[in-house]
Amino acid sequence: MTPGTRRTLIACAPALAIAALAPAHPWLEHTMARHMGLELPALFLLGCALPRCSGAARSPRFAAWNTHGLPGLLAALCTTGFWMLPAALDQAVLHGGMALAKVASLVAAGAWAAASWPRAGTVLQAFFVLNGFWMMLAAGLLYQEAPLQLCAVYLADQQPAAGRALVLWAVAGLAAWLAHLALVSRVFAQDDDDTSAAAATP
Amino acid sequence: MSAARTALATLAVAALALAAFAGVTRGFAAVTSDGVRRADIEQAPRALPDLALVDGAGRGLQLSDYAAPNAPITFVTLQYLRCQTVCLTSASGQSWLQSEIRARGLAGQMRLLTLSFDPANDTPAVLAAHARRLDADPALWRFATVADPAQLARMLSLFGVVVLPDGLGGYAHNAALFVIDGQGRLAQAYDVDRPDLALATQLRTP
Repeated sequence: MTPGTRRTLIACAPALAIAALAPAHPWLEHTMARHMGLELPALFLLGCALPRCSGAARSPRFAAWNTHGLPGLLAALCTTGFWMLPAALDQAVLHGGMALAKVASLVAAGAWAAASWPRAGTVLQAFFVLNGFWMMLAAGLLYQEAPLQLCAVYLADQQPAAGRALVLWAVAGLAAWLAHLALVSRVFAQDDDDTSAAAATP
Repeated sequence: MSAARTALATLAVAALALAAFAGVTRGFAAVTSDGVRRADIEQAPRALPDLALVDGAGRGLQLSDYAAPNAPITFVTLQYLRCQTVCLTSASGQSWLQSEIRARGLAGQMRLLTLSFDPANDTPAVLAAHARRLDADPALWRFATVADPAQLARMLSLFGVVVLPDGLGGYAHNAALFVIDGQGRLAQAYDVDRPDLALATQLRTP
């Protein structure tokens, strides 16, 4: 395999994986838990792989429009929040156009998030991570407790499983972010500027 | 330059997100499909089409008969009679409405209609037996289903009811207590456990 072919294959890998998901979508959307806990995160994560695999992550093309990754991360947060609405989930099952919009927007959200993450500082990253996963955690708890049927296409007895899946993703996401803070950003290894300045003062 | 562009992009994202959320929640009025349907019906009441029905006595009727000028208000639910879950709540709500309508002497102004979306099982004889069990007054409360099963999808889409086989021989479905108003339009939808709210609203309407 020539390096060129290899690069092309890697660049196409996320798109191929998304295409491979297509025949599985009736199974994935058969229960609320699989839809919210497997299909939606899979689309987002494949989207995350897109910029790096295609080499677009280093492209300066849209950098001027995405200083500190702010619009990109905001778009990713809003998109993932949107598809947690029961009414939106119903539409995605009942209408072909909305199903297509769901796939396109979640893959795009993953790509925006991955491309914008390195541009954002720790504070901005923390803002989006805490807001996003807190929203997911709250939605998951609400889904488990809701006394009414939330979706037209899913029974009320599927809501607790879907809620648990959301809680699991939120906890996993927060844990991964803490690990990222400790190992990559190394924030826990740095001394606070103020205390080190104070310590330097005799 | 890039700060201005980023601000512009951020505002555009926020505006798009606001529009998308407002669209799917009908202006932040609802997060569930049932809530969205309620908002849709209230905003744009639906005309009743000619839809051939057959009632518990085996008589044919049209859904549009309920749209006659100056006709009484009708409280409608959609059920299937073998249902052991939400339909029981729907039926007890309508039972309560029947007793309230009688007690308040509103028989000329209000009536009840139960529509079955399971015509294969809920034949006129089954509908009649069910009506007797509920002590339904035939002059006040009618039970009917589609005369032609091919028209079922039309009836369900008019009321915004989604019916899915539950894998156990029954159906999973959403429910609501609908109101056909004095002008013969499908004008309101309430939660099935709030017939009191539905009645109070109609009594308050001049």
